[in-house]
Formats: sequence, C-alpha cells, structure tokens
Amino acid sequence: MTKPSRREFLRLATNTLLGLTGAIGLGGLIHFLSYEMDPAPPSQYDLGSAGDYPRGLNTLLLHIPAVLIRTDDGFIALSLVCTHLGCTVEYKDGGYECPCHGSKYDGKGLVTRGPSSTPLKRLRVEVNEAGNVILYMEPI
Amino acid sequence: MKITPAIRKDKKPLRAVLIARAFFFTFGAILLFVSNVLLTRNVHASQSYQAGVTQTPIPSPTPTFDIQRLASPAVAEIPTQADEGALIFWGVCIACHGDRGQGLTDEWRIGAYDADNNCWESGCHGKDHPDQGFELPKTLTFPPVGTASALGRFENAQQLYDYVVVMMPWWKPRSLTPEKAWQLTAYILKMKGSLPEGMELEQTNASAVPVHRNIKVPKNPNITIFIFTGILALAMFGLITRDLPERVEQIPVDLKTGKVIRPNFFSHLHPPTIPADQSRWRYTLGAGGMAVFLSLILLITGLLEMFYYIPTPEKAAISVETIVSFVPLGAFIRNLHYWSAQILVVVALIHLARVIFTGAYGAQRKFNFLLGLILLVFIVLLDFTGYVLRWDEGIRWALTAGTNLLKSIPLIGNELYIFVVGGREPGPAALIRFYSWHIYLLSLAAGFFIVWHLFRVRRDGGIAAAPGRENKTRITRADLLKREVLGMVIGSIVLMIVSALVPAPIAPPIRGDTLLDADSSAPWFFLWVQQLLKSGDPFLLGVVFPLLVVIFIGAMPYLFKDVEPGELGHWFPRSGSIVQLLFIIIAVTILALTMLSMINSL
Repeated sequence: MTKPSRREFLRLATNTLLGLTGAIGLGGLIHFLSYEMDPAPPSQYDLGSAGDYPRGLNTLLLHIPAVLIRTDDGFIALSLVCTHLGCTVEYKDGGYECPCHGSKYDGKGLVTRGPSSTPLKRLRVEVNEAGNVILYMEPI
Repeated sequence: MKITPAIRKDKKPLRAVLIARAFFFTFGAILLFVSNVLLTRNVHASQSYQAGVTQTPIPSPTPTFDIQRLASPAVAEIPTQADEGALIFWGVCIACHGDRGQGLTDEWRIGAYDADNNCWESGCHGKDHPDQGFELPKTLTFPPVGTASALGRFENAQQLYDYVVVMMPWWKPRSLTPEKAWQLTAYILKMKGSLPEGMELEQTNASAVPVHRNIKVPKNPNITIFIFTGILALAMFGLITRDLPERVEQIPVDLKTGKVIRPNFFSHLHPPTIPADQSRWRYTLGAGGMAVFLSLILLITGLLEMFYYIPTPEKAAISVETIVSFVPLGAFIRNLHYWSAQILVVVALIHLARVIFTGAYGAQRKFNFLLGLILLVFIVLLDFTGYVLRWDEGIRWALTAGTNLLKSIPLIGNELYIFVVGGREPGPAALIRFYSWHIYLLSLAAGFFIVWHLFRVRRDGGIAAAPGRENKTRITRADLLKREVLGMVIGSIVLMIVSALVPAPIAPPIRGDTLLDADSSAPWFFLWVQQLLKSGDPFLLGVVFPLLVVIFIGAMPYLFKDVEPGELGHWFPRSGSIVQLLFIIIAVTILALTMLSMINSL
C-alpha cells in the first residue's frame, strides 16, 4: 500500500469525523427516545376483605381485568386478557368469549375455540394477615 | 428517668423534674429551635449540629432499644438537600413520626421515651403540661411517612411539599421556611426510596417527581455534547481544506430535444453558478441562510419534543418538567428549540435590516420583501404560541393579556377571542388550539412561505447586486454549498454550547388556588407592545399601532423610490436614505420601548 498523500489523509480524516458525529447524533436520538413516560400499571391489587367474597361465586374485576373465583379450597384468579391479542374477554354461559376475534374459553380458562391457543393466565392471589385478598399481576 | 446534675441543683426539685421530663419528651421541638439557630448561622453546619447533640441529654434506653437510633444523622461534608432534611427531620419530626419514618409505633414510643411513653397522659402532653409542652388530642394520628406504603394521598413531591409547608409541624404549622420544607420533602422521599438520585427538589421540577415511584435522573450529557461539538469543529476544518471541483457544472440540457431542462426547486436554490458578489458574508451577513438553518433545527427539535409533551392543562407544565429533569437529553433538546427560536427572531430582524440598508427591497423584489415580512409575522406568532405551551406561572399573565387584547378590537373582538381561546377564558380548549396552531397550522404556513420566499430570490435574479459586475466572477454550486455548510456548522456549534449551558426558562405549574409572584412580563419580542399598553387604550396601542408599524414597513418599497441600480450591492446606498432613516427611527423607537420595559421590571 502506498503512503497516502496529504490530501487523501485529510479527506479520510474529515469523512471519519463526519461519520463519528453522525453516529453520536444517532446514539443521542435513540437515547432521547428511550424514556418511558407512563408509569407501569400496578403489580398488585388489594381487593378488600376475603369475607366479602362468598363461596362458589365468581367476581368480575373489570378494572384489572380479572375474575376472582372463590372455591372451597380458597381463591383462584384468572386474567381476563385474551391470550390471542389482548382484548378483554366477556363472561358468557359459564365461559368467556373474546369480542375481538371470537376466541372462547371455558370456566377454568381453557381454550374451547380458536384463534387463541393458550388458556387464560392464572394469577397469584393470597389472603394477607389482615384478611384482605391481594391479587398479584404475575402468573403462577 | 435519671436527672442530670444541672437540674438536680435547682432549688425546686419537683418543678425541675417536670421541666426535665418535658425537655426530654419534647426534645424534638427544642432541637428544632437549636437547629434553626444553627442553620441560620451556618449552612454547612454539620459540626455545629454535632456540638448541639453533645449538649442534649438522651433518654436512657430500654434494653432492646438501640440508643444510637436517637443520635443525630451523619451528614456529608457538603450536605445534600436530603441530608439537610434528615437533620430537620431528626430535630422536628422524629418525635411523632419515628426515626425511620415508621410513625408513632409502640416500639418507637416505648423505646425512645421509656417511662414517659404514654404521650397523651404524661406531663408534657397531658392536660397540665408545662410551658414548653402542649396538649396532644387523643384523636391525632401519627402516620408513617417513610415506609413503602406511606403517603398514599400524595402523588408527587409538589403535593407532599404543599402539605408539609402548611400543616407541619403539628404544634406550629407554617413555621418551616420553603427551603426547609423542600429539604424535608427530599428526605422523606429518600426514606421511601423514591427520591431521584442527585436531584434538588424545587418548584419547577417537584410536580414531575412521583412519590411512589423512583425515576432515574439521566447523567449530565454536557461532556458528550462538548465532545460532539469538538469533533464537529475538527470536521469543519477538514471541510475547509477540501478542494472544490474546478469544473463548472453545465446547465442541464435534454439530450433528445437539445432544450434546456426546466430547473426544479433545488436547482433554484443551488444553480450551477452564482455571482460571487451575491455570496459575500460582509454583504449578506448570511442572515437569510441562518434563518433557514434555524427553522430546520426548530422543526427537528420540535418534533422530538412532541414525543413527550402532553397538551392538557393538568399535564402540560408537568410534562415539560419531565422533559427537562428526566428525559435523557431532554433539557438539551428543549434548550436547542428555545434558543433557536429566540435567535431566529434576531436573525430575521438582522436579515430585514440588511435588506433595508442595502436597498435590496426595490423593483422586482418588492413582492419578496412582503413575503419576508409575512414570514416575520409568522415567526413571532410561532414564538408566542410556543411560549404559551409551557402553560406555567411564567406565561399566565402574558396569555391573559395577549388574548384579552383581541377583545378590544371593535365589532369582531369577542368572536375573535372565542375563536382563538375556544371559550370565555383560557382552558383546555385554548391549550389544544395553541398547540394545533403551533405544531401544525402556523408551521405549515411558515414552511410554505419559506419555500416561496427562497424561490422568489432566484426568480428575482438572485440576491441584489450591482448589474455591471454580475458576470465578472462567479462561484460554483459546490462553493456555495460549502459556504452554507460552514455557516451551519458554526451555527450548530454555537447553538449547542449555548443550549448545554443556558437553560430555557421554566416556572411552577399554574394552580388555581395560589398566586405566586410569577413573571408578569411579555415575551421579550413583545415587551415594546407591553410598554405601549401601559400608557393607554389597548386597541390603539396594542393592536392598531403594531399593525401599522408592520404595514408601514411593508409599504415602504411601494411608497418610496427604488435605489439606483448602480448603487445596488453596497451598504447604505444614498438613493435609499429616506427608507433607511425611517427604518432607523422605527427600530430605535421599538428598542427604546423594549429597554424602558426591561428597566421598569427590574
């Protein structure tokens, strides 16, 4: 390789520096746009006293959205978010139906009709020392 | 409880015991006084605090209670805001809210106060309390403040501060100065774990600091910005040394027909060659090009700000605070937008002055002169609408006065006001309208006029120059482009350094219930109108007069003789002296009014 002339060197150096400013600028742009503006939704909900939920009854909690089922053994919570594309499913004839694309689930959250292929998520639910039902937004 | 020797010497032992107990029990209250004295004496008073501690007797502890919990908190050499708050908390709040902000739990009450732990019955807070004490009602609660679940009713640091400064301490509300209340707020958030690290709370950022969530403060980007500008400056030197192509590009010709291809907009901006006289810095000052460059910066930074700005009255000022405090590079982008806008007004005025003082407004350029003047009006309107979008205490009165000015217009005034504001007074509708005008309608219109203005420059034969010399020396497209790039790079460097170092103004969010001594002055380019308005009728002085000034400047090329063609291309041609003189009179008047307004507001 021949020694580059002064002119070639300057050209190369300038282009490198210009490229570098472009890269830093792009990095800054990505950095700027990376900020998460809205707070994350709550990770747990206090659903009040466990005594308020009679045995064998399902309670729809549309603000979460989830359904709280009190069985003889305790509480079970199912997320009402359709596992297909996230619409909130509706309670219908003992099961759940998605208004968006028609997925159907039975009372236990298992898929009875597509397009959805996975059952509704079961959420962790506990009764704390004060006797309140705490619903955690995390699958079991 | 042991009695200190100093008190045992007292001649009335019974009373002394009572006072001693009161002293121990309310030692928080007394320490407040001590820390007050010390704080006013010395800001960096960590040592003085320690001195104060040794003089303060500490109650004897129960066996399980670590006595160290009653000691004054350790403070760094240069205390942070939260450190100062920790000392105030220790002196004032700890008695009822606990050493860890746990509230008056039994563990704390019994541990810290030993035999005197029944606060409501014992001497100092019972019915027969001594002078230093006070009665505590049984209904009073002493809530935790530093635990994860505490302070549920407060959303952001501003709300917490507002409560603390008005309601606390319980026995002497409003006794904390704003500075101390901010320090306390910072310390409480720190106990909760939601104080953004390295943040100084104040009125202009506290609304953006959530009480129940921890946000990271981005690192100060200035070093990166300076490195960036340094590399850009080096690259600029490289560009200067670069040789330009010798060959002058030919006027494009259609090969089949042999006809000249009609040049598009971009070849109007950069023709193959232009006369060298038209691109001398000394003559043009580069002001027009700089205005285009600043408009581009404004467009880009404005688009970026739109990713985070929320145009509702409740959220607007808070979202600006979030951009400034938490979005990485947010303050820098906002400062770039702000300073570009301010400099654009100045550069546009310099451009106008250049055109007047070189007599370049005449003949075929009369129309483009009008286009430029319309652009100036758009720039001012964009500046004002953008200023209003802060929606904080700093713009409140400018918005009120500015829009009420519309009402003074006879016949159509009220309708015009409702059209602009969207109601009888500024509210959500006004904000969203100003937002739409700013980001869309005015910007679009300004963009259209910029393109038209530039196109007309070429259509009118380029920048005005002396006719005889027109064809002597010409510079190539590459040379013109190089000069423009140099101007832009120098402009960028200056703009970036200014934006990294000088923050754009911000004020606390507008709140219905308080009147702060907020800035009541108009944006600087309207100060002359504000000064005029002080002396009388709003319609004549605030609407008619400024409009007449603009119309008169626009009409000058039509009212007065053109500059002799032979005198074009030079500063201050004699044949244009009347126009120049009139412009100077107008400029000096506006400048004098602006200065008068500035002096008045000092």
